[in-house]
Amino acid sequence: MADRQLTTLLTQLRTPSLPFPQSTTLLSKAKLLLLQLSALTPSPTILPANLTLAREVYELGALHSLRAKNPDSFTRYVSQLQPFYELPPSAFSSPSQNQNKVTALWLLFLLTQGRYTEFHSDLEGLSTRGSVAEVENDKFLGYPIKLERWLMEGAYDRVWKAMKKGEVPSEEFGVLCEVLTPQIRREIASSSERAYPSLPFLSAQSLLFLDSEGAVVDFAHSRGWVIKDRTIYFPTAAELNADEEGEQEQEKEVGQMVIENTLGYARQLETIV
Amino acid sequence: MPGKTPDREPARGGNNNNNNKMKGKGKKGEDEKMTVVVPPSKKKEDVEGDVVVMEGVENEGEGEDPVEKTVADIKSNFALLDRAVALFDARFTLRALRSVSSIRKRLTGDVLARVVAETYMASSSGAEIAVGLLKAIGREEVQLGGKVGGGGGEMEIDSEPTTKAGSGKNGVKKEQKEVIPEIGVFLGILTQVLLHDGKQWQQGLEFSRYLIEKIQELNRRTLDGLSAKVYFYFELFAEQLAPLPPSSQSTIVAIRPTLLAALRTAVLRKDTDTQASVIVLLLRSYLLTSHISQADLLVSHTQFPENAANNQVARYLYYLGKVRAIQLLYTEAHNHLTAATRKAPSSACALGFGQTATKLLLVVELLMGDIPDRATFRQPAMEASLHPYFLLVRAVRVGDLEDFESVVAQHGDTFRRDGTYTLILRLRQNVIKTGIRMMSLSYSRISLRDICIRLHLGSEESAEYIVAKAIRDGVIEATLDREKGYMKSKEVGDVYATSEPGETFHDRIRACLSLHDESVKAMRFPMNQHRLELKNAQEAREREREMAKEIQEGDLDEDDLGGEFEGM
Repeated sequence: MADRQLTTLLTQLRTPSLPFPQSTTLLSKAKLLLLQLSALTPSPTILPANLTLAREVYELGALHSLRAKNPDSFTRYVSQLQPFYELPPSAFSSPSQNQNKVTALWLLFLLTQGRYTEFHSDLEGLSTRGSVAEVENDKFLGYPIKLERWLMEGAYDRVWKAMKKGEVPSEEFGVLCEVLTPQIRREIASSSERAYPSLPFLSAQSLLFLDSEGAVVDFAHSRGWVIKDRTIYFPTAAELNADEEGEQEQEKEVGQMVIENTLGYARQLETIV
Repeated sequence: MPGKTPDREPARGGNNNNNNKMKGKGKKGEDEKMTVVVPPSKKKEDVEGDVVVMEGVENEGEGEDPVEKTVADIKSNFALLDRAVALFDARFTLRALRSVSSIRKRLTGDVLARVVAETYMASSSGAEIAVGLLKAIGREEVQLGGKVGGGGGEMEIDSEPTTKAGSGKNGVKKEQKEVIPEIGVFLGILTQVLLHDGKQWQQGLEFSRYLIEKIQELNRRTLDGLSAKVYFYFELFAEQLAPLPPSSQSTIVAIRPTLLAALRTAVLRKDTDTQASVIVLLLRSYLLTSHISQADLLVSHTQFPENAANNQVARYLYYLGKVRAIQLLYTEAHNHLTAATRKAPSSACALGFGQTATKLLLVVELLMGDIPDRATFRQPAMEASLHPYFLLVRAVRVGDLEDFESVVAQHGDTFRRDGTYTLILRLRQNVIKTGIRMMSLSYSRISLRDICIRLHLGSEESAEYIVAKAIRDGVIEATLDREKGYMKSKEVGDVYATSEPGETFHDRIRACLSLHDESVKAMRFPMNQHRLELKNAQEAREREREMAKEIQEGDLDEDDLGGEFEGM
């Protein structure tokens, strides 16, 4: 009874264009039904068919909350999915269509949050699913892995190309890429500050992947850059001043450290001799 | 001796506090005894002495026959275990465990069956475990209580009840003593070793379960050192059963609750041996199934016992280093792994561990941007197994991306087997960085196009971004010129003008000092030696007092003294 209702709910939920409020009500209904089937969390006594249903509910929930840009709810659904993904394939009546997609989205989500530790921990866990080459060549799983590698190298132009509309593996990735864009721009800006003494306007526009000169001006103002004769001058002098002050302080600290260390050695020597 | 009786009783209640108190008392008694030369009146000492002497005779007499010798070797450990229980000193247990590796090569089912049969009487309280042992090695038919195939067995079984009723009465018959459970567990470990060498994983796992149950029932602190070993083999058996570890359905996942429960109990009982061993096993288990976050949680929620055995510390540090390396905490990982390789025993038996730890250490060093010492690769024992890593280091050192990719492709299987593959994939960026650094050092000015060609980067644009990032990360000191498209290197500063030499110097001094401190702490002094001195001092003082008293009373006159002189 309940499982049949659940199946009809799932067919409704499968349409990706469902507006968020509607999908939330449907999802909470589905979760109530899961509760009736006592399949909310996996346990060995649950029928494979019900487990499969439960898994799909959570997967769809994760996808819907991502489309609705609700990171908290996405995190919740993904963590609820973890125990399901730990189960052997034989526990379900059919293999999951969305498992790789959800995992890849989760990895990308961790990237946007800057949670690299978790990203790599989870990546390590993927190696249990298949060979590394298999994972990397997967349409979904390979995407966050490639992005991370390019980000680490600093090959931002490749990241940018990969994030363009047509390149993302599915629509949900676009949502996360939108979050990633300003972060990447900030990265580029901070490395440009150090690398270039000055930068012509046009170069800055292409470097930062900005659409118009107006956007460049706005961005330059937000970072506190000086604009003169259609060229951006990075605040090197001011920075150096700040650095010098810092250095003086540091020197003081160094002196104190040397004294402390020497006193420490003396004390230790006393105990030894 | 009130403190001793409970020690000798195999089946004790679970009242821990009480036991410990009793033990404390017993220990005190022992200490007092240590000052005196072995008192012949004490029955227990007698038995111990007997065993030792007997073993000595056996060793000498039957040294020729390998089976006899093995039997004798195993039995000689019983004396150690006996003493470990009597003196409550874990060192004797450790010594017994150390001999396992030498016995291992000569161990067969028959030898073990014989030892079990000769050690246990059919109706003694330890017989249950003996039956379990025999069953595990597939020799149920062996009779307990006597030589295998000898006629004496039955007779002894018949007379068992009387001996048991009053073990003090039967002075006429052969000395009949209760077999302490430690011996049973020790034989259990030998059984585990035997099953493990015989690749009987399933039986081994079942037997280990049984043995662990027994240990938990017995609940004796003198079993701690032994139970750590039992858990170790338990995990080993589980690892070998299909489906093999990387799969999340492996047996090691199923036995985790048992191990966690054991850990909890060990912590509560301050059983450092089992605690250290089980933490290491759990970490290993988590890493085998790539449950990195769980491993991390375990580390953060447990405290590794400080006075754990050196080997366990080395293993723990290795696993911890691995977790940290995966979590991108390279500095921490480097510290742990360096300590692990240094703590690893240098003998040939731990070569595998040394190699594995060194491999991981090399990769972590590379990830940190350091180039490992070439001498590492020249050690004769490591040379062959480290060869792929040597090629890798060479590629990274030069900064040749193409070379690097080809090494990874060529030795990918080796790296995957070593579990370093994912870490090595992260090295790509380090190769690029090193490459850029080499460029910056060799050229005062180089065009982005050349950088792109030399480092085999995709496009000039990528090269520009990558160089800019390298500048920001402090890899190189340089500036970029966008219009003319080149990188201009800055003058390299003098290292000796910074505080870096001082810091390195400080690090080294600190290492030396802590080495000194640790060696002082590690020094062993004979227990209660000072008490003997105190006693002597007190006696001397008493004598002096007596003498003074006598002089005062005038009893001791010059004649007496003179007489003494004459006597001397």
